[in-house]
Amino acid sequence: MGYAASEPGTTAVAPALAIKILIAGGFGVGKTTMVGTISEIRPLHTEELLSERGVGVDDLSGVESKTTTTVALDFGRITIRDGLWLYLFGTPGQDRFWFMWDELALGALGAVVLADTRRLQECFPAVDYFEQRGIPFVVAVNCFDGARRYEPAKVRRALGLSETTPIVLCDVRRRDSVKEVLTTLVTYAVEGARPPAGRR
Amino acid sequence: MTGEDPGPLIRLYGLTGGRARPQGETFDLVAIVVTVAGSHEFADLIPEHRAVLSLCRRPTPVADVAAHLRLPLNITRVILGDLRREGLVTIERPRPVAQTIDERIYREVLHGLRSL
Ligand SMILES: Nc1nc2c(ncn2[C@@H]2O[C@H](COP(=O)(O)OP(=O)(O)O)[C@@H](O)[C@H]2O)c(=O)[nH]1
Ligand SMILES: [Mg+2]
Repeated sequence: MGYAASEPGTTAVAPALAIKILIAGGFGVGKTTMVGTISEIRPLHTEELLSERGVGVDDLSGVESKTTTTVALDFGRITIRDGLWLYLFGTPGQDRFWFMWDELALGALGAVVLADTRRLQECFPAVDYFEQRGIPFVVAVNCFDGARRYEPAKVRRALGLSETTPIVLCDVRRRDSVKEVLTTLVTYAVEGARPPAGRR
Repeated sequence: MTGEDPGPLIRLYGLTGGRARPQGETFDLVAIVVTVAGSHEFADLIPEHRAVLSLCRRPTPVADVAAHLRLPLNITRVILGDLRREGLVTIERPRPVAQTIDERIYREVLHGLRSL
């Protein structure tokens, strides 16, 4: 048996692992496209019920009233092997959904902040969010056709990123490009997770 | 991205008895759910419960269960919380990232991504 039998009402550790990676960035920057490009399943989307004020619904009574909406949460899956999966979650864009980010970010391997150089400021909130929580992230600049190509150094300066935060130019419609973004993130995350040499 | 659709909510209300939060210890969106051996043979279960027990005979993350049932995540979680309380499924408990993802896992993930 790979997992312990459990008493009713308790939880047990299962012999499988699902790892979360978040895809964040402004509306229309290409989050859903990125998930779809690399996912082995059509991006599924599931919904979270929300009240208009953007807090999770605690009680569904009064469902007839128009105070309840749903927010779609895109996610895609990559199977690494039997029992090891990578889940990509496109984070909901609007600020009133921050509470969902907290839950998505908890235990996540890391995040991709997608940026569009024509409106770089839209990824400030995501950059701040991951910096404050110490979640490893890379900035992926989606090079829309016709968008001005920025030097990564300029993006770094404009976003006030540390020297070590990776910046990758990408095209979210291309599989190789998305693969490169994700391998960059995982490589970066593993360096951060490794104990500093000589202090084991 | 958001839309108002009160119709189906009436049915969801019935599924969860109006609750929007699962009972017991919280669990993650990708926590692994496993059906306890033998429990999918229970006859008097609602279709949603039966569907979960059948699906989770193979370890399945919560998000996949929601997608499979085509139900909102928090409704799915109420259902999973109920099944756990009945002792029909186990749900992986939350663990800090440092405990779940070790160097070997990172290497496997990197290798897996590169060979996609
Ligand atoms: N030309 C071009 N269009 C893109 C690119 N990335 C995304 N799009 C388009 O931009 C729109 C918004 O993308 P979407 O993935 O839905 O953005 P989201 O709001 O971040 O999820 C879609 O119509 C995409 O097809 C790109 O690199 N080049
Ligand atoms: Mg989207």
